[in-house]
Amino acid sequence: MTISTTSDGRRTLGRGGWRRRSVLGMALAAALLQLPRPLAAQSSPEAFVAEIGDRVIEILQDDSKNDAEKLDSLKFVLDSHTDLDLVARLVLGRHWRTASKDEQREYVELFRQILTNTMAERMSDYEGQTFEVFGSSELSERDTAVETRIHRLRGAPPLRVDWRIRESDGGFAIIDVIAEGVSLVVSQRNEVASVIDREGMSGLIETMRERSGEGETVL
Amino acid sequence: MRRFDEQVRSRTQAGRPAGRSRPAPVLLLGPILALSLALSPAPAAAVGDPLEPLNRGIFEFNRIVDGLVLEPASQIYEFAVPEPGRRGVSNFLGNLRAPVIFINHLLQGEREQAGITLGRFMINSTMGIFGIFDFATVVGFEPREEADFGQTLGVWGVGGGAYLVLPILGPSTIRDAGGLVVDGFIFDPWPYVSETETQLARRGTELVDARYRFGPTLDDLEVGSLDFYVAVRSAFLQNRAARIAKNGPMRNEAYESIFEEDFDDDFDDE
Repeated sequence: MTISTTSDGRRTLGRGGWRRRSVLGMALAAALLQLPRPLAAQSSPEAFVAEIGDRVIEILQDDSKNDAEKLDSLKFVLDSHTDLDLVARLVLGRHWRTASKDEQREYVELFRQILTNTMAERMSDYEGQTFEVFGSSELSERDTAVETRIHRLRGAPPLRVDWRIRESDGGFAIIDVIAEGVSLVVSQRNEVASVIDREGMSGLIETMRERSGEGETVL
Repeated sequence: MRRFDEQVRSRTQAGRPAGRSRPAPVLLLGPILALSLALSPAPAAAVGDPLEPLNRGIFEFNRIVDGLVLEPASQIYEFAVPEPGRRGVSNFLGNLRAPVIFINHLLQGEREQAGITLGRFMINSTMGIFGIFDFATVVGFEPREEADFGQTLGVWGVGGGAYLVLPILGPSTIRDAGGLVVDGFIFDPWPYVSETETQLARRGTELVDARYRFGPTLDDLEVGSLDFYVAVRSAFLQNRAARIAKNGPMRNEAYESIFEEDFDDDFDDE
């Protein structure tokens, strides 16, 4: 974990840096020791998604945890299995390059907070749904789509959720979630572009600050 | 928000081959098709929002109506009617939609889905006592896929045209609004055999039922959004495109190009 200091003197934890450095470090160690890469714990994107699904349901069913603890655990699972730095940058799209370094840093951190909060809260409405991995298809050299179904209760039709998984440095990471055809990255891109068009990059960051503040009071 | 709600419901079929040809019964519905084409100059991929100022106004109006009427009505409904009753209402209303869905599956060449829709309708209308009980699921029928005439037009290659927020009914497009009229006033058999008041009561109950079932989904979307109007528009248009393409949601170039970009080199400033 790296600690960096922003222009206003606040110290922020750069978790993106931590992730990349540990990946590099482990890859280097593996290369030196001629060992298999330690991050390749799962053999395939399907196994990776199945494991996340199992862990999420395990957390939701864990009666020893209260709601706040469950949310924290969910956020941790999401954070550690998603390449949030990349997702944040993809969502900002062409505006990434014109943003200042400070804006980039604050944007990524706010994005991470809002996204993990929102997703964890949505998952926490759990009432016993089950999760099934249906199959996968290759999208590019790096990316695979894993298709899953969330089986709901009371005869409601199952929900189709696709996960875009990127393989890098021998590990896997979620880079998009598509529920019933609705891509998280595309939706967020549309929203972010609309806010920037009207209020600029500083307006976006202001809106996100307000949003992440609201998220905390909800918790 | 009924239109949006219908789209949130899921499809169960996937992985079908892309780009197969579909026989379009143009002779039967030629005038409607021509009208829709005339109304939708934009190609299917480039659905824009030229009516955004108007749409935002109607969107805000809908939120006010929702807060004043639909949300309280759905809360009263939830309080006054126990869950099995609400389930029955939902089943009954869904069963009434079966003929429209059946016709649209046929028009789209979806014989298997048409069969499921017809089989479920026959079983639920009889053994399920006018559709109140979903007996078809008990005897092992697959869930039904929803279908509507706007989607049918899309399957035939008609573009959506401009995004359009309808008063009370919510997100739509010019094509889908036209489809709604065809579904409601031509394909739907019930207005032919019952009185206008009965149909109004049915549509009103449908709104409350939809608000009750899908309200939490919309609330979730609002909580996580930076711009709720854009969030709803984006979700609606993406879901609609996926339901028309029917070959899985991840097979288009615009989507793929987002992920080709590689930022890894220009973030190392720490």
